[in-house]
Amino acid sequence: MDKNRSKQLVFFGLILLIFVIYTLRLASLQLGDVPYKKMAINNALNKITLYPSRSNVFDRKGKLMVYSTQMYDLSVFPFEIKKLDTGLLCSVLELDIQTVRGLIADARVRAKKRQKNNSFNNSALFYANLSNKQFTLLRENIYRLDGFFIESRTDRQFATATLSHALGYLGEADEELIASDEYYQPGDLVGITGLERYYEKQIRGIKGVKTVWQDRTYTERGVVKDTQFNYPATAGPDVISSLDFVLQEYGRELLNGKKGSIVAIEPGTGEVLAFINNPDYDPNTMVGRDRANTFKSLLRDPQKPLYNRAVKGVYPPGSTFKTVMALIAMQEGVLTPETTHGCGGGYRLGSIRVGCHPHGGPLDLRGSIRISCNSYYCQVFRDIIDNPEYGNVKVGYAALEKHLRSFGLGSPLGIDLLGESRGNIPSVSQLDRRHGDRWKSSTIISLSIGQGEILLTPLQMCNTAAIIANRGWYYSPHLIKRIDGYKDTAWDRKYKIKKFTTVDPRYFQYVIDGMSDVTKPGGTANGTGIENVEICAKTGTAQNPHGKDHSIYIAFAPKDNPKIAIAVLVENGGFGATWAAPIANLMIEKYLQGKAESSKPAMEERIKTSVIQ
Amino acid sequence: MRYSPLSTNNQEKIDSLAVFLYVVLLLIGFISVSSATSDVNQAFYSLSDIAIKQLVFIFGAILIIFTIVFSNVVVIDYFAYGFYAIAITLNILVLFLGREISGAKSWFGFGGFGIQPSEFAKVATALALSKFLGTYGVKFQGTKNIVTALGIVLLPMAIILIQNDTGSALVFLSFFLVLYREGLPGYILVSAVWLGILAIFRIISEATGISSFYGYGILLGLGSIIVFFVRKDRGIAMLVTTIAVISSLFYTIVGTFYSKILMQYQRDRIELVLGLKEDDRGMGFNLKQSKIAIGAGEMWGRGYLKGTQTKMGFVPEQHTDFIFDAIGEEWGFVGSTLFLLIFCGLLVRLVIMAERQSTVFGRVLGYSLASVLFFHMSINIGMTVGLVPTIGIPLPFISAGGSSLWAFTLFLFTFLRVDQVRK
Repeated sequence: MDKNRSKQLVFFGLILLIFVIYTLRLASLQLGDVPYKKMAINNALNKITLYPSRSNVFDRKGKLMVYSTQMYDLSVFPFEIKKLDTGLLCSVLELDIQTVRGLIADARVRAKKRQKNNSFNNSALFYANLSNKQFTLLRENIYRLDGFFIESRTDRQFATATLSHALGYLGEADEELIASDEYYQPGDLVGITGLERYYEKQIRGIKGVKTVWQDRTYTERGVVKDTQFNYPATAGPDVISSLDFVLQEYGRELLNGKKGSIVAIEPGTGEVLAFINNPDYDPNTMVGRDRANTFKSLLRDPQKPLYNRAVKGVYPPGSTFKTVMALIAMQEGVLTPETTHGCGGGYRLGSIRVGCHPHGGPLDLRGSIRISCNSYYCQVFRDIIDNPEYGNVKVGYAALEKHLRSFGLGSPLGIDLLGESRGNIPSVSQLDRRHGDRWKSSTIISLSIGQGEILLTPLQMCNTAAIIANRGWYYSPHLIKRIDGYKDTAWDRKYKIKKFTTVDPRYFQYVIDGMSDVTKPGGTANGTGIENVEICAKTGTAQNPHGKDHSIYIAFAPKDNPKIAIAVLVENGGFGATWAAPIANLMIEKYLQGKAESSKPAMEERIKTSVIQ
Repeated sequence: MRYSPLSTNNQEKIDSLAVFLYVVLLLIGFISVSSATSDVNQAFYSLSDIAIKQLVFIFGAILIIFTIVFSNVVVIDYFAYGFYAIAITLNILVLFLGREISGAKSWFGFGGFGIQPSEFAKVATALALSKFLGTYGVKFQGTKNIVTALGIVLLPMAIILIQNDTGSALVFLSFFLVLYREGLPGYILVSAVWLGILAIFRIISEATGISSFYGYGILLGLGSIIVFFVRKDRGIAMLVTTIAVISSLFYTIVGTFYSKILMQYQRDRIELVLGLKEDDRGMGFNLKQSKIAIGAGEMWGRGYLKGTQTKMGFVPEQHTDFIFDAIGEEWGFVGSTLFLLIFCGLLVRLVIMAERQSTVFGRVLGYSLASVLFFHMSINIGMTVGLVPTIGIPLPFISAGGSSLWAFTLFLFTFLRVDQVRK
């Protein structure tokens, strides 16, 4: 019996052994450091992103310009794919089998990346932006595709094709953005250019979260009731743009067949009323599935439709710059309204000759602007920088440069678009580099008539007109009036700072008087004026080393209490009076009188139908 | 009336501690099954279909208990072989008529219900083995008797292997513990376990690419060291040398067999069972989820009906093979060790009861019951906590399912009934 007793003890020993081993194992699992509980919770909770609609954008009069539409993505739980009917997927999405396999592999990588704490229930984007046909077919067949589901989010719809450069377009968030900002997930849309980009953080709204219990088959098993896990998506607030929809459309029509820009500003506020480039593109082609392809073809287009010349293009301002030169000369005390200079068909100084068109002379300040006399401004320019008070041409030029910079030239104006060019106001050292150390006023005489190293963007040209209209100050131009729910923001403050030029307001009247003659008989833009509107303007012709001169025109109206300042640039358009002036004046008429019919139908017709190669 | 070792004279009361522990386990089982299958969407407590089915099975089990308790104990002895014959027949029939469920053809289907004859083969084998070893004059000695006894155990095991139900077949290995009690030399068991461990290590080294020389180094190095210390006692030194040499030979043979003779799919299957291969949806995944479930229970558990791992189906087979996860997750370390204690308590009680039998029939039956339950419990819980390869066998009295519950109830109460007439 002793032997049997010991055998019984072996049984007891085995039972004890297992009990001890398993108890220790349970202790290590349940009382150890591995956060199993967190893993379990992560397994069962699924946070579903609720996508907000992006902001609706209205024009200054309340016309809806951009709104959000539904868009559908095919997403997948890559590790739930069982017995995938690849053929079905291929035929529904119209893709070949290699592509589908590649997409599945990509989705796996993305899902793995999202995997935290060993939870495995991560879905990943499979195919973004389903077409209507794909969506319909998928909705019918989704039950046959284990692990796949359709997600919705919003895309953009534009009310007009003319808003591309002001409002910008959306694109999928790139990897860099996703890595740097945890708000974004692959497939999310984000503003790439324009207002969509500049105000992205406001316009995108706030994503919501719906947290659900979810079982192993990814079936929802009820919403988690704890409110800390759930909050709805908040749509982007209404954005009221400063643009005038009607003016925008009209300007685009006038610019048809011509390369160039139109920028209009409300001088009293700095609000941009019209912001037009040609060539541009239809922003409605930059939505949905075709976005990437459209983008590629736009990028390749030799016409450069993506190029925002209104803020990126730089041009010599030509004769429009005489207005600024006159103002600075008066401020410097080297010019009075009564100062007269003869012309004789051009300015000669040694071997240098600046030509001028035939006109009667001698002219006073007012007449010099009306007629745009080159000789007059060569003299004025020399008087400024050769001012004996400074004793040195470089000191004199530095004084001129300081005044020019006070007009917001040579640096970005701070419009709410990215990539604005600074233009160019040459510094003394830049002139040293260009002309050698020993330059004189005669060396840089072409600056006097807005040629040479001086370069302005169309926006800066328009802002110059706005400064003259305001008699000496401006607000940074901006495309936004307000965003609902946002007050006293950084951009609000930035656009409420009144910036003054270094020219005394009392001098402006003399230049404005000259500008008000420009569209009248004897003026350079005679015949393009609008009845009953006192337009103050200056024509310009910018020399273009690459081809025909650019046609430029800056203007504001009415003369007293101006409502609109405008700059028009038509590339290769020749004289300012030929194209830019009629376009600008028609815009002014449209804005101030608001009539469907122009008082100058023949001019309007000529502009609309002309094509400049 | 023919002679029977079981006499109806001097009936004792049925063992109340064993019955009490059985009832407690049944309750724990029902609670766990109902929790593992409950629906989170239900605001109020409601029973799932599986839980209701389990309730029906429990009533069935009670019927079985009453049938046994109120029947003549002699019947058990008389029909032992007959029952074995029926079980063997059913297990063969199921190969032809059965339903295939997850790769194993081991189920008879009756509409929504299924019966797994392999579950009943265990109690039938125990009865036949008890009857054979309990026969007057038969001992676990002599080639004929040993072969017969081994045959009784290995026949159903082989048939169940053919059914492709590896887990259930392996359970029959637990009868070797009974045979040990009845005279099988201990060193044979120890050697078998030793060779098993060697084989597993060799397979691991083959599968993971770890050089097999470590194995040889350990075997021969350890052998040499032991021989060096016991060199005075030539007998032991010879024995250790022999063991080391034979082990090394076996180690080599397993390696060759594994890498040269087995086909790739066979190797894949073995490696999967040993947990050497991880696949996203397969056993590696299941084990991980099982560990998460138990670990999430922490000290006091997440509370009844609050275990998301078990309830949401992240643990596979959570109401059958992985039912222990529900206990671990919802009742924590305290609850799961208490459960272990109760189960081990029943095992200890059964061993004590087996040893107190006056008949070989009763003793073999008791040890068979204890061994089979022990095997089931060790493998099942060991699997859920990741100490044992994934072998799908139920946790007795706890896992959902009628066949297992009824077979083990039949097994337990047959023994309890026999115990009543132990004299």
